[in-house]
Amino acid sequence: MKRALLLIALLMIHGCGGDGEGQQRPLTLIVPTAPGGGTDTVARVLATQAEPALGAPIGVKNLPGASSAIGMFQGANAPADGETLTMVVAELAILKSLGLADIDHRGFAPIMLVNYDPAAITVRRDAPYDTINEFLDYAREHPNALLMGNSGTGSIWHVAAETFGHATDTRYTHVPFEGAAPAITALLGGHIDAVSVSAAEVLPYVNSGEFKILGVMAAQRIEALPEAPTFTEAGVEVPEFGTWRGLVAPAGTSQERIDQLAAAFTEAAQSNEFQAFMAGRGFGIEILPPAGFATFLDEQAAFFERTLSTLGLAP
Amino acid sequence: MLEMLGQGLVLAMQWQVLLFLLLGVVVGIIVGSLPGLTSTMGVALLLPLTFAMEAATGILFLIGVYFGSMYGGSVTAILINTPGSPAAAATVLDGYPMTRKGEAYKALQISTLCSSIGGFISVLVLILVAPQLAAFALRFSAPETFALALFGLSIISTLSSGSMVKGLISGFAGLLLATIGLDPISGITRFSGDSLHLLGGISFIAVMIGLFAMSEVFRMMEGSSAVRAATGQMVKSVKDKAGLSWKEFKSLIVTLLRSTGIGTGIGMIPGAGADVAAFVAYNEAKRFDKDPESFGKGSLKGVAAPEAANNSLTGGAMVPLLTLGIPGDAVTAVLLGALLVQGLQPGPMLFENNGPLVYTLFIGMLLANVLIFVIGWSCIRLFTRILSVPIGLMIPVILVLCVVGAYALNNQFFDVIVMLLAGMLGYAMKRYDFPVAPLVLGMILGPMMESNLRRALIMSQGSLDIFYTRPVTAVLLLLALATLLSPLFRWLRTRRR
Repeated sequence: MKRALLLIALLMIHGCGGDGEGQQRPLTLIVPTAPGGGTDTVARVLATQAEPALGAPIGVKNLPGASSAIGMFQGANAPADGETLTMVVAELAILKSLGLADIDHRGFAPIMLVNYDPAAITVRRDAPYDTINEFLDYAREHPNALLMGNSGTGSIWHVAAETFGHATDTRYTHVPFEGAAPAITALLGGHIDAVSVSAAEVLPYVNSGEFKILGVMAAQRIEALPEAPTFTEAGVEVPEFGTWRGLVAPAGTSQERIDQLAAAFTEAAQSNEFQAFMAGRGFGIEILPPAGFATFLDEQAAFFERTLSTLGLAP
Repeated sequence: MLEMLGQGLVLAMQWQVLLFLLLGVVVGIIVGSLPGLTSTMGVALLLPLTFAMEAATGILFLIGVYFGSMYGGSVTAILINTPGSPAAAATVLDGYPMTRKGEAYKALQISTLCSSIGGFISVLVLILVAPQLAAFALRFSAPETFALALFGLSIISTLSSGSMVKGLISGFAGLLLATIGLDPISGITRFSGDSLHLLGGISFIAVMIGLFAMSEVFRMMEGSSAVRAATGQMVKSVKDKAGLSWKEFKSLIVTLLRSTGIGTGIGMIPGAGADVAAFVAYNEAKRFDKDPESFGKGSLKGVAAPEAANNSLTGGAMVPLLTLGIPGDAVTAVLLGALLVQGLQPGPMLFENNGPLVYTLFIGMLLANVLIFVIGWSCIRLFTRILSVPIGLMIPVILVLCVVGAYALNNQFFDVIVMLLAGMLGYAMKRYDFPVAPLVLGMILGPMMESNLRRALIMSQGSLDIFYTRPVTAVLLLLALATLLSPLFRWLRTRRR
């Protein structure tokens, strides 16, 4: 027992040593979700790859809670010295419009968009419809009869399902779950009829032949699932819709520091390790530089503000 | 199957696999025994270390942490009335009274034995019938989970030894506290004012640390002669080394097996964790006992039941994870991530594509439970030394553990404040004989019950048919009703005499 404790202590001391080359102060990367989830693992793998280029260790700090509002709020209020970064998620564009938290992208200086995963409408393999048009015909004949699972009211996938229903003029009963995984489990057990979560999240079950994707809410087919059709191909007009993750610093961070960080993280995102990790999980890599990410954030905020008020989800 | 197991055994017998499994179990026991460091956090924090390891080594390291932490929580629960993890909250109920009676040594022996045997059996179940059980796990959805939570709430009546009214007040306070924050179904904020922290709700783990451990610190600080006398006596009789006799162990076998069944079953159900399993097993142990009055006063079965249940949950939770790729609780959700990073896709194809690896994991899981027994059993004497620490040193140590533990939950000072307030509440409750366990149970089951009730009604479009047309739901609801009405029947029977 004592020896084991000693071993752990040694491991910890080893983990603390980081001031080798560069003599840079360690960075903190705030992750607004719980450890172990998708956003957390993406952040950790990316941070590990960026450490050599930055010449400084990066400590990941999980601050989960309140639809990621707590972590993002603390990230926005950190000192703008370029030492505290935040991994922001799509909720950043939604929270304010829903009236849940007074936080939006203007509190941040964008560094890099990391990932983008489009929403998809997924059903069980044994469902009586094979194409999105058959599904829509059924939904038109039976308004509100289809149970559509999402990851929580006001979450990105709930808005996706509502957007889909609005665009196709069909009605569903939306069933909120605590995250995407429980919704997928319910579909697996046949308790609901469809889910509106990302294609990446249902990928394993599509590959194992349990689910089929009827349509992806994107302009082009996704790399990880080339056989899944898009809505546009089927002639169904639905806006592009997806979740994303990106790196930001607090607003007011110097442009010089932002560029330096962007260069290091872009290099990290292009590493084989990161590419392989993302491909394995089915996450789509979508790199945007600071300026491009800023435009993207503006567009997303405007899109969700418009969408949420059209759908009647804004207070 | 035997051939595959043999192959797995050979692969598991590599030194690096064994070393990391051992390290995992040791780290797990430490993580589990520290309040605030939960199984989920332990596994999640160590996950990045496994990225560079080989698949079997990395995953068995995490499994060691997971299994070890389930057992570790009982050590502090028994010795200092502080559950190291929510899974050990039910162990406090009889574990600490045993310590007060001077039977700390025996209590730790029971917890070690039952944890490892329960865990071992559940892994055997996993190996033998996982695919068949997986189909059952999938039948659980919102209405079934609601019924299970409602059944779980009926345990409040079991936990309220003494005054039933005080137990109910405590339980309902827990339910009420659980409503703070974002409404799980409609997303409306409740009782959160303008606080971003309250928006996220109150962490029941912070409350649990406060209610059990912090309140104990306050009581020790009070320095009443009664406490001093109790501690003094405790140490003296631990030196007597009153070990578990074979006869006593035999009397625990039925409880052990029943609790293992409950733990394995609840483990398979998505959305219900080790805390629920431990409380349900405790409840059933008391219900089937000839002398239910002995529970809460240091009953051996009261320690055996939750300890067997929380460790047997692990094998059960692996069933849906490995066969379907769906996590049964928060820890297995992190383990799913670990498997995916290693390029393994849990689900029906896992056994076909990675057969040797799966059986290596099975052998490793069995070994982990053996290791829990070996390490636990040989450290009992070491653990009991905690009791000989003078109270003046004990107070600051527990205090630091409480504060650090609460902070570590989410890296927020807010949780420390919640913990301290809960500590004061717990002190007042203990002072006026309100049981604290129902409050924790209410906070655990409240959100589970509410969101699943409302989700079930959304799924049925408002029709109540969903609660009696689904067999599993109907059976669970009937059980809950029977438990609820049992005091009435007992009263009627005694009146007729």
